[in-house]
Amino acid sequence: MSASFERGYNLLKEMIDAPIASYLSSCVRCGMCASACLFFTETNDPKYTPIHKIEPLRKVWRREYTLTGKLASWLGLAKPLSDEDLADWQELLYDSCTLCGRCTMVCPVGNDIAYMVRKSREGMAIAGHAPAGVVAATKRTIEIGSPMGVRLPAVKVQISHVEQETGLEVPLDQEGAEYMVLLSSMEIINFPEYLSALARIFHQAGKSWTICSEAFEATNSGIQIGVGDLAREIVMRVVEGAEKLKVKTVISPECGHAFTALRWDGPNLIGRPYTFKVQHILEVLDELRLAGKLKTEGFEAGRLTYHDPCQIARRGGVVEQPRNLLKMVAQDFVEMSDAGTMNWCCGGGGGVSANPDAEAIRLLAFKRKKAQLDELGPVTLVTACANCRIILEEGLEHYQMDVPVVGLTETIAAHLVESPHFSPPLPNPLPHTRRPDGLGTRVGEGTNALSPLGRELERGLAGEGEKP
Amino acid sequence: MTISNDSEFKAALSALAPAQQRMVAARFAENVLSASPDPRVSSALQAAKRADITEAELAAAVHAARSASVASYTSCSKEADRQHQASHFVAKAALNSVMPAAHGANRAWEAALNARMARAIASGVASDNSEAQQQYRILSEFLQHRGQP
Repeated sequence: MSASFERGYNLLKEMIDAPIASYLSSCVRCGMCASACLFFTETNDPKYTPIHKIEPLRKVWRREYTLTGKLASWLGLAKPLSDEDLADWQELLYDSCTLCGRCTMVCPVGNDIAYMVRKSREGMAIAGHAPAGVVAATKRTIEIGSPMGVRLPAVKVQISHVEQETGLEVPLDQEGAEYMVLLSSMEIINFPEYLSALARIFHQAGKSWTICSEAFEATNSGIQIGVGDLAREIVMRVVEGAEKLKVKTVISPECGHAFTALRWDGPNLIGRPYTFKVQHILEVLDELRLAGKLKTEGFEAGRLTYHDPCQIARRGGVVEQPRNLLKMVAQDFVEMSDAGTMNWCCGGGGGVSANPDAEAIRLLAFKRKKAQLDELGPVTLVTACANCRIILEEGLEHYQMDVPVVGLTETIAAHLVESPHFSPPLPNPLPHTRRPDGLGTRVGEGTNALSPLGRELERGLAGEGEKP
Repeated sequence: MTISNDSEFKAALSALAPAQQRMVAARFAENVLSASPDPRVSSALQAAKRADITEAELAAAVHAARSASVASYTSCSKEADRQHQASHFVAKAALNSVMPAAHGANRAWEAALNARMARAIASGVASDNSEAQQQYRILSEFLQHRGQP
């Protein structure tokens, strides 16, 4: 027995707490979880049955904590868990599970299978059977504080960009602010429009907010890989930042696992309650809406639908808020089949998107989302998780589907009634049109308030048309 | 006509016809093209600069730019690389340039912003505003020639 396997085995043994023992005792092997998992439904391969994915954990439980298991082991009738078993299960525990929790929802005896997968990953990681991509992300988190290696200068580039675009200040380290905003690495790297939307929304709402230079990163790869100590350390960075700046609320960004890690797991991980509130950005926006501090105008011209990120809707309970918000800007909003808490995963959560080994199965599993979208016809897809967004775009690209994908926060911001002090982005010169990303369409708008220079240019160019 | 700040820049862009927005947006993206190794981006920009482009060619250019944009995302938990990230924003600027007129609100400004982002990321200097200055010049020249290629 190798030292790493022994450590992994012992950790699996340690992970079996009272809930897990009760789950494993009560599983009736009905297989209903299979039909809830997109990796099973899109492959029909029984190895992807969710409860089967935790077989290593079940073996340890049976051998270590049940009378029959102990007896069978003593008589040599039960094959013990091996390092080879763990190697074989890497594909099942990491590549083909997004921790979406849909299996948990359908279990007739209430077993939280996603929780057991997470606990299984703890043993896998210690035994050296976590995928290389996820391990590398974890190392970067330990060394740099971000799984994608994002440092403060990268954030400052985005801040500068947003300030230039909006003409608004993006506060950094402002003590006593009401809100402390976290960003996922994905938003820092790929989606500056999220921060831009926040700046404009908070400006309109008259709310104070800040980014903490020592705790701007929301992503918690400790949760993804299954290393509790690391997950705790990442949560502590945020807690220390928030307490240092004395903020009232920390806002989890458009990132699924960040919300789970900070909102639900965080206090348990650090062993004490927070001194501040944690909310998802959609919860904050909906509160602003209710308080009359979120004022929008116009509607999207096209049909919109909403992809519920698993960790935000199913695992996080944020279901009504995005729909309330979308009603503000969409006249033609349609739900996918299985919308809300039972929506199908994008296929890339839980570290799957960080794992190159999982790419083929992920794209195969995307056929489930494709089928949901095919039912709706032409539509713009709105979501509230940067990872979902990229996974969706990649899947749509793979299946050559022309469906724009946008973030919900920026969708709302595209319709803000801007204050007179605000210098908004360039007005739309055409009525009934859509932005390249599908946003900003304002039915019934189309007049521009041009500056004198603009009017001069308009006159100069009027009737010119295109010249060869 | 000299453009020296963003207010003038935005006003000038807002006064352009959609096709002219496309052509000048392509020039903004082209100015940072060195940050993108993807041939789909350059081919989309070549198409966008043409005044006589057909709808079919424009649709093909949109497809090419969108593919390049999606391909250049940095996925969750993958190590960020500054040059790769910059190339994504070049692709986004190219996509802003070639979206059909019906989808094209603000496309020149969006392209300009994405091109500035690409430059700032590539240089690694948050306060790098050099691209904005270059864009003022590009737009001024474009206006002087009234959109001729």
